[in-house]
Amino acid sequence: MRKFLAVVKHEYKKIVLKWTFLIGTLLFPLLGAGFAIVPALIFSLKGEPTRLVVVDPTGEIGPRLKENLSADKIAARARAAAEDALKELNATQDEKLRSGTSQLASGFQFVEMDTAGRSPEQLREELNLRAASDQIDAYLLIPPDIDAKDAKFEFRSRKAGDFVANDTIKDALNAAVRSQRLADANISENVLKDINRTVAFDSKSISEKGEEKDGDSLFLASLVIGMMIYISLTIYGQVIMGAVVEEKETRIAEILFSSARPFDLMFGKLVGVGLAGLTQLSIWVGSLVAIGIFLSTQAEMAPFLGALPNVTPLMIAYFFAYFIVGYFTYAAIFALIGSMVTTVQEGGQFAFPPIMIMLIGFYFGFAVIRDPNSTLSFWVSISPFFAPLTMPIRILAEMPPFWEIALSLGINALAIAGLVWLASRVYRVGMLMYGKRATIPEVLKWIRQA
Amino acid sequence: MSELATTLRVDHITKRFGDFTAVEDLSFELKAGRVFGFLGPNGAGKTTTIRMIVGITAPDEGRIELFGETMSSKLQDRIGYLPEERGLYKKMKIVDQLRYFAALKNVPANVAEKRIDRWLERLGLGAWKDKKTTDLSKGMQQKIQFISTVLHDPDLLILDEPFSGLDPVNVEFMIEVLSEFRDQHKTLIFSTHLMETAERLCHDIILINKSRKVVGGSLREVKASYGKNLIALRVTGGDAVLNDRAIVARVDEHADEMYVELTDGVDPQLLLKRLIDSGAHISKFEQVEPTLNDIFIELVGGSEAETPVLAGGAHAA
Repeated sequence: MRKFLAVVKHEYKKIVLKWTFLIGTLLFPLLGAGFAIVPALIFSLKGEPTRLVVVDPTGEIGPRLKENLSADKIAARARAAAEDALKELNATQDEKLRSGTSQLASGFQFVEMDTAGRSPEQLREELNLRAASDQIDAYLLIPPDIDAKDAKFEFRSRKAGDFVANDTIKDALNAAVRSQRLADANISENVLKDINRTVAFDSKSISEKGEEKDGDSLFLASLVIGMMIYISLTIYGQVIMGAVVEEKETRIAEILFSSARPFDLMFGKLVGVGLAGLTQLSIWVGSLVAIGIFLSTQAEMAPFLGALPNVTPLMIAYFFAYFIVGYFTYAAIFALIGSMVTTVQEGGQFAFPPIMIMLIGFYFGFAVIRDPNSTLSFWVSISPFFAPLTMPIRILAEMPPFWEIALSLGINALAIAGLVWLASRVYRVGMLMYGKRATIPEVLKWIRQA
Repeated sequence: MSELATTLRVDHITKRFGDFTAVEDLSFELKAGRVFGFLGPNGAGKTTTIRMIVGITAPDEGRIELFGETMSSKLQDRIGYLPEERGLYKKMKIVDQLRYFAALKNVPANVAEKRIDRWLERLGLGAWKDKKTTDLSKGMQQKIQFISTVLHDPDLLILDEPFSGLDPVNVEFMIEVLSEFRDQHKTLIFSTHLMETAERLCHDIILINKSRKVVGGSLREVKASYGKNLIALRVTGGDAVLNDRAIVARVDEHADEMYVELTDGVDPQLLLKRLIDSGAHISKFEQVEPTLNDIFIELVGGSEAETPVLAGGAHAA
């Protein structure tokens, strides 16, 4: 037992006391935060205001457009768009980005120009010249008759790639033309607003107990959990394999085997590396919880938090349990592979099958989110190999009855016992075989004979 | 000195890997305070036997008894084993590795700490304590590996080719260190193909070839039983005597002397007398003991097994 603990301590310290562990631990949340914050930061860098000439033969659209493009109006529309985006989780990334960033559009500066008595061609020529000489950025030609069939609004800009500004102008122009048409049709804008108001669509799923729960952000949260488990299993599985191969490659195994029982050495390694993984996961979950608590004290975040799935301490306990289950399942496989091969590179090729199985489990997760109570969801969430990746998602989506979780944990514990037994048989023979990679028939022979 | 205790008793052990028999019906015994040479060509079964002695694998048949008990994982703490194929963790500090190896032998941390410092100083590696393996030369790594073998103050030390990779100065130094172990009545097992070293250090030897014991016993006994009645001779004349197959079996001519192998049962005195009687002029007549190298080559050389590196043997044919 003391030797087993010595191995655990050795493996744990070997990982945790390295600066790469610290960086990895900090990097993951930072990367996550980075993906959310960095684009917003970049778009918030305001450019110069767009200098715009509006040529308006009608004399009616121009003023309406100017009003729509005023800072107040833009801000009001952006706020409305942001509120929509929070509710609408099906919105594509692109739409979200646009609606989010429209509020960040630079302002507009209207440049007056005397247009009296000049033909559109003359005007175009002059405006193009002025744009080329950097006196203006863009111009808009409003047709004399906005209701004519071939009426065209010509917008020319030096900053053609600024889709935020372009969209803002297009929206403002549409609004201006529409209100002008309404005015022409003698319908007041207030009446129209009433008619056009959208229905309030409140979508929630019903749990088996008949309780309502918020399904909106479930998909996102499941994806995060699934990713987190998948990534940590892959990383720590490879760490195990690397550690096993190192001891084989450097022939340290022979010294170790003359000091302690192979089973203690292998299982100690699994536990030590696993504790390092748990440490990292605890830091991640802990910081998530801390951020959650901090945000809940901020009043303006309340509507956003309300949309998050309700995570209980019991759920977190289950997540850790399934991380441990998944870890031991795949770590045993990686240890087995490590003791078969002669170099880390060779191991990399053999790591493909377990990673493939994990990936399949990860994709089963999507089926589980869509229908947590289906027959498929039941079977994948109790089966070995897949349960660690699918059951946490199922728990998040819809807490299954306790017996199912108990059954799932029981089946997986048996599978782990089998895998560890298998791995330790291969390990004790394979670790002392130098020179060449073992073939599958050889490995089978070791298992029978060891 | 009182009767020495038996450290190791290997009792008719056999180990098979599938159809291949690596060790067959091997027996020997080892007393405390003796240095034991475990000799044999590559592939003879030395490493397999050593692995069974240190408890890495178990024999299929037979029994290994250590310090009067049947071999078990508990007894591993009393053995120090330096394998031929050995290594260190590449990216770990020397001191951390030594601490780990000591912990695996159940050495309390504070004891280990003192011993690590003492051994590093002793082998002139004190300044390298906090360095990583990759910063050390191969010879330094060898010494670190040796330290890891003795940190738990083992009663039985098993060294598989301990001097490979060491320069002559360090070989001498290591021999000095090992002599101290012998003086403390600890038992040493050497596996080596350097016959000269074995001859110099070992009290007892065993030679195995093709999984089986070929010869074993104290060095003196083995040499005596394989003494071939060899005479180193520098002589002028006496050709008729040397060509008499009744007394001389074979003559090896060297630069300025010859080695004369007598026919079985012939007393060297007879050759000397016949030579004097024949009027030959003798400037050297010396009875030569066979070296271990000679014995090794005689017993193993005829087989397909790889012959060992010849280290300073007198007249390797």
